[in-house]
This record gives sequence, structure tokens and C-alpha cells, in this order.
Amino acid sequence: MKRNHTKKNSCTGMLVLGAGTALLASTLLWTAPLMAYDYSFSGESTTLLRMRTTVDKKSLLPLYDYLRLTMTDIRSDGSSVDFYLGAWGRTDLVDKIGDKTADGDLQYAYLTYRAPKNNSTVSVGRQFITEGVATERIDGLYLRNDFAYGIGASAYVGNTVLTQPLATGTSSSYQAGTVVYGGRISQENKKYYTVGLSALKSKYDGGDVFREETGIDLWVHPVEKVDLGGHSNYNYLTKGWMEHSYYLSYAPVSTVRLGTEYANVNLKDYLANVTTSALTYLNPVLKANKSQDVIGATAAYTGIKNVTLTADLKRYNYDQSGQAFSYGGKAVYSLPDDYSVGCTLHRMDGGADLLRYMEYRAFATKKIGHYDVTIDATDVTYDKQQIGITDSFAVTGAVGYEVNHKLKLAADVEYSQSPEFSNEYRGLVKATYTFDTKHVAEGGTKSEK
Amino acid sequence: MRNKLAIVLTLLLMVVLYSCANTNSIPRVHPENVGHAIPDCTECHTNSWGALNHRAPDFMGKHRFYAGTARQTCRSCHQEDFCTECHTRKDEFKPSEKLSDEPLRTLPHRGDYLSQHKIDGRINPVSCVKCHGRQNNERCALCHH
Ligand code: HEC
Ligand code: HEC
Ligand code: HEC
Ligand code: HEC
Ligand code: HEC
Repeated sequence: MKRNHTKKNSCTGMLVLGAGTALLASTLLWTAPLMAYDYSFSGESTTLLRMRTTVDKKSLLPLYDYLRLTMTDIRSDGSSVDFYLGAWGRTDLVDKIGDKTADGDLQYAYLTYRAPKNNSTVSVGRQFITEGVATERIDGLYLRNDFAYGIGASAYVGNTVLTQPLATGTSSSYQAGTVVYGGRISQENKKYYTVGLSALKSKYDGGDVFREETGIDLWVHPVEKVDLGGHSNYNYLTKGWMEHSYYLSYAPVSTVRLGTEYANVNLKDYLANVTTSALTYLNPVLKANKSQDVIGATAAYTGIKNVTLTADLKRYNYDQSGQAFSYGGKAVYSLPDDYSVGCTLHRMDGGADLLRYMEYRAFATKKIGHYDVTIDATDVTYDKQQIGITDSFAVTGAVGYEVNHKLKLAADVEYSQSPEFSNEYRGLVKATYTFDTKHVAEGGTKSEK
Repeated sequence: MRNKLAIVLTLLLMVVLYSCANTNSIPRVHPENVGHAIPDCTECHTNSWGALNHRAPDFMGKHRFYAGTARQTCRSCHQEDFCTECHTRKDEFKPSEKLSDEPLRTLPHRGDYLSQHKIDGRINPVSCVKCHGRQNNERCALCHH
């Protein structure tokens, strides 16, 4: 009951926010020529139609739209104000998915001011914060600034933006807090290192603490070829270290790159504030009193023109399933913007039956005029039968057609044969439309418009 | 009294540190267009930015550390929509479905993941928590109560 209520509230909230944004967008658009600033507006809309049949022979035809908007105002002093928005929505054209015929999400919507000096930033709205111990999506405020002597600081406060399908009628262990705040202080020497100290606290409406964590992070690059970093995070509520995670990368010559990683996780501390039932320490399969170690190594060789050869090895040591080794390699031949082929091969070798299998993947992609064609296949063969099947196979074929630089069309077909679905075809058609008020000749990638 | 003094001193220190600060902000947009292919930062940077080389075989495993220490830098090439392809609150597409035309990308959950997740979820549940721990879990609840 209560859950429906809050759902409704968040939906209305989203609608209001969406409508407000649309209004803001259109006013800005119309007043644009009047403004003396270097101002631009751009966006992208991707419409997807998915076709599939469920196990009980229902045909599903959901129609999706993903919308991205960017408004930028660069001032003459070099400062800038940007507004970013990302959202998606779905309506079901035939049978409905689950119990709703429509759904959607406001992924991000924030206004950000950036100064030309000291990385001063002020951001307000729904945004994705990554500061040391925090990886949080919030509805709130984010601030950052550089100070003297290489000191930098950031802080954020807001409402948590989470999904809680099991929040009511179940144990309170599946309920998340409603507010979150925290920050990070760092000291750096651009040439050699950055060290940081960060903290995060999240509370329920009543004031009870949901999470309280702190972390130290480190990034050291003493010489050009060496890069070392990682972090250790501590959980105040369980009074234990959640994780120690570190890596070391080394490039002895420009064509060889080596990397190692080490992570030690205490599940009781790490999983304490997780609200997805399969991933909490309440799931007996995950044995909360245990710790888990992962050691990994990678090597890449790029000495042959257009070819990249990679090898990787990982050892999982987890009291639940004993030890497991995963190792394999990848070979890719690629002429960027024209043609790429590659294959990967991985072996998993562990104590349990489930943990003995081979994984193969092969792919190719080619651009032909306005078309691009991609084929990508994955196959997993288990040493011992899983639910009567020893093999899980999926292949996707995709064709894209660039009508002009604003409109791109694409269609995918996926065929799979697996323990879950004996034989299945799925289709997807996609149209991506980009629009802007002005072409700005600036750098960045496709994703920075 | 002691508390007040500490606060005043801290504020004073902040003001000094603030007024002596003089770094240039990371550019809003990376000054050079690096295109759409996965970039090798060392091609152009011999300083510490080279460490962020996206072609390094361990970059995907390390990007979380860089994101936590140098997010300003990521923003000069990636808007939030880029991260949101994989880091969603709620979505119905796997990244590999939306990016089926980019086989060179290192995307989680390629192929038939409903079968494989039972294995990966046991061997390394911690890696799943990062994206499904408190969000993106409505689908999980269909089978996991
Ligand atoms: C094609 C060459 C090229 C590539 C590849 C490239 N950059 Fe740059 N980058 C430049 C140029 C040119 C500048 C402007 C001059 C400068 O500040 O060094 C720049 C500037 C920067 C700056 C701002 C410098 C500062 O200290 O404020 C950062 C940060 C940066 N690049 C990071 C990266 C990262 C990370 C990568 C890899 C993902 C990368 N670059 C790849 C050419 C490149
Ligand atoms: C100089 C520009 C530049 C900078 C700076 C940069 N990236 Fe990237 N990054 C790219 C490009 C180009 C790609 C290729 C994919 C694309 O744009 O569609 C990419 C791809 C990635 C990928 C996907 C790799 C894969 O194999 O799928 C991740 C993850 C990523 N970047 C994270 C980061 C993070 C985190 C930072 C900041 C620490 C960062 N990037 C900084 C240009 C940059
Ligand atoms: C291609 C998919 C992909 C993209 C794009 C991507 N990430 Fe990630 N990210 C991952 C995966 C996979 C992990 C988990 C890695 C692991 O197991 O350690 C992760 C982990 C993280 C974490 C650690 C989360 C935690 O709870 O510890 C942070 C922070 C992060 N990413 C930031 C970013 C940022 C910022 C961007 C955009 C610049 C980005 N990522 C883009 C796939 C992606
Ligand atoms: C970088 C973020 C990220 C990480 C790490 C991640 N996932 Fe996902 N996962 C997603 C996204 C995004 C989707 C698509 C949304 C959906 O279907 O709910 C998804 C979908 C799934 C699905 C549905 C697959 C299907 O075919 O419909 C399962 C099952 C799943 N994830 C399990 C896991 C498990 C188990 C792990 C850990 C081994 C994991 N995920 C790690 C982002 C992630
Ligand atoms: C179609 C049903 C289904 C969906 C959807 C599903 N799972 Fe599972 N999951 C299973 C089954 C069945 C198992 C195996 C249980 C066993 O072996 O006891 C499993 C096992 C797991 C495990 C290993 C631990 C355990 O309890 O065996 C994890 C972790 C896990 N799932 C996470 C997720 C996450 C995260 C999602 C959502 C992103 C998800 N699952 C979605 C059916 C599902």
C-alpha cells in the first residue's frame, strides 16, 4: 500500500520535473538569439522497438524512447553553465511487461556551473557522483573546488535515487535510506600522486543511519611507465573494512602493457547495506562471514600493426565455492572506422561443476558506405550438464544505415539457445535522431556534444 | 569555546587556502577531438594523463578508481549519458543490446546472461553490487524474493 503511494509520488515528481524541464528547454530555445552568450542547444532521441515472445507465448512489442538534451552557455570569462538531461520511457504496444503498460526513468537532469579556475563546480539536480567511497546517484547539490598546495575538496548532499522493489512487506534489511551526504578531500602533486580521504553517510527519514562509510584512495605515477592506485573502504556500522582494492600497471615499452590487481572483500561489511535480496548477506548462498580475494593479471601486446593481443588471468578465492581460476585471451584486428574482427577464448576452472566451462566469442564489424554491419556470437560450453543442457549460445546480427548526419537507422536480430530459453529469436529496430541549434567546432567524443 | 576557536581557525585556513589557490580548470571539453574509437592517451600525453590510457587491457577494471579521483577529467570527454549506458538506476536494456554495433567495447553481460549470472553471481557477487546492489534490481525481484 505504502509502496504504491510512494511510487505515485515519485511518478508525479518525475512528471513535474519533466514538464518543468521541457518548459525551461523551450523558453531557453526561444530566447536563445536574444542572449549575448555563446549559447547552444543539442540533443539526441533514440527510439527502439523491441520484438520478442515470452516463454508462455506472449508476444511483446515495447516501444522505447531515450532522450538526451544539453544546453550550454559559455561566458566570455571562460566560465560555463550547462544543463544536461537524460530520460527514457516505454509503452507496450501489444501485451504488457509485468503489471505496468508504461514505465520510464529520469536518469539525470542537472544544471552545472564551471569556473575557468580551480575546477570550481556547482551542480544542482539529479546527478551521478563518484567521489572516493561514494558512487551515488542523488537529487541534490554537488560542490567542488581546488585550494592551494594541491588540496582539493568536494561535497554533496541530496536525496538517494534508488529502486526498491522489495522495500515493503519484507524485512527492513531491504530498505534503503532517503538522504545521503558526504565529501572528499584530496592532496595532489600533478606530476607524482594524488591521495584522498572521503566519507559518506546515508539516513532514513526517521534519522536512523543506513550507511556510514569512509575511504582512503591513492593514485601514484612516479614515472611515466608505472601507475599504481586503489582504495580501502571502511564500514562504521559493521566496524570492519569493506574492501581493499589495488592495482599496478606497468608499460616497459610502448607496445607492451602489463597490469595486476588485488582485491580483498569482507562480505559481512561489504554486503551489509545492500537491498537486492540476491546480493545481501541474508542470501545463505553468499556466506556473509567469509571474505573473498581476487588476484588478477593482464598483458597486452600491440607490436603488430592494427593487431592487439591480450591475455588475462584471474584467481578467485572465495570460501563458498573454493578457488577458481579464469584465464584466456583476446585477439583483435582493427582498422578504426572501417573494419574490425576479433575473438576471445576463456576457461573457468573451479571446484564446483558449475565453475568448469569454456567461453568463446567471435565478432566482426564492417562499414560499407552509409551502412555498417556487425555480427557477434558467444558460446559457453559446460563440462557437466546444466539443467540438461551443456551449451549456451547467442548470436546477434546488426545492420545500421546512416541516412544523414542527423538520422541513423539500425536493426538487430538475436538468436539464442540456452538453458533458460530453448530457442529464441528477438528483434530490435532503432532510430537515432540528433538535433542542435548550432554546430560548435569543439573537441571531445561522440558522447560530448 | 574550544569548538568555536577550532571552527574559526578552520574557516581562516580555508580562506587562506582558497585565496592562494590558482590552478587552471580541466577544460570543459577536451581540446583535441579524439574521435569515437577507444583512445590511447599515451599517443599524445607523456605526463600522468597517459595512465588513463583506455587501450590498456586493465582499463575497464581500473576506471572506477580514476572516476573516484579525477571525475573532472572524465567529464571533458564523457557526458553523464555515457556512464549511464552501464550505470543505470533502472533500465530494461543490457548495455550490449543498445551498443550491438560496437563489438570492440568491453560491455558486461554479453550473450545469454540469465544462465551465466548464476555462476558469476556466486563467484564474484561484489562486482554485481556496484550496479544492482541498491538499484537496477526490479527485474531481479521477479525471481529473487
Ligand atoms: C590526439 C591526441 C590526444 C589524445 C589521444 C588525448 N589527448 Fe588529451 N590533450 C591533447 C591536447 C593537444 C591537449 C591540450 C594541450 C595540453 O594541455 O596538453 C590535451 C589536453 C588534455 C587535458 C587537459 C590538460 C590539463 O592539464 O589541464 C587532459 C586532462 C587530457 N588531455 C586527458 C586525456 C586523456 C585522459 C586521454 C585519453 C583518454 C587523452 N587526453 C587523449 C591531445 C590528446
Ligand atoms: C580524451 C577523451 C577522454 C577522456 C579524458 C576520458 N575518456 Fe573514456 N573514452 C573516450 C573515448 C573516445 C571512448 C570510446 C567510446 C565512445 O566514446 O563511445 C571512451 C571509452 C570509455 C569507457 C568504455 C571502454 C570500453 O571498452 O567499453 C569507459 C568505461 C571510460 N571511457 C571511462 C572513462 C573515465 C572513468 C574517465 C575519467 C577518469 C575517462 N573515460 C576519460 C574518451 C575519453
Ligand atoms: C561499458 C560499461 C561501463 C561504462 C560505459 C562505465 N562503466 Fe563504470 N563500471 C563498469 C563495471 C563493469 C564496473 C564494475 C567493475 C568491477 O567489477 O570492479 C564499474 C564500476 C564503476 C565504479 C565503482 C562503483 C562502485 O560501487 O564501487 C565507478 C565509480 C564507475 N564505474 C564510474 C564510471 C564513470 C564515471 C563512468 C563514465 C565516465 C563509467 N563508470 C562508465 C562498467 C562501465
Ligand atoms: C556496470 C554495471 C553492471 C554490473 C557490474 C553488473 N550488471 Fe547486471 N545489468 C546491468 C544493466 C544496465 C542491465 C540491464 C538492465 C536490466 O535488464 O535490468 C543488467 C542486467 C542484468 C541481468 C538481466 C539479464 C538479461 O538477460 O535480461 C542479470 C541477470 C544481471 N544483470 C546480473 C548481474 C550479475 C549477477 C552481476 C555480477 C556478476 C552483474 N549483473 C553486474 C548492469 C550491470
Ligand atoms: C529468470 C529468473 C532470474 C532473474 C530475473 C534473476 N535471477 Fe539471479 N538467479 C536465478 C536462479 C535460478 C539462480 C540460481 C539459484 C541457485 O542455484 O540456488 C540465481 C542465482 C543468482 C546469484 C548467485 C547466488 C545464489 O543465490 O545462487 C546471484 C548473486 C544472482 N542470481 C543475482 C541476480 C541479480 C543481481 C539479478 C538482477 C539483475 C538476478 N539475479 C536476476 C534466477 C534469476
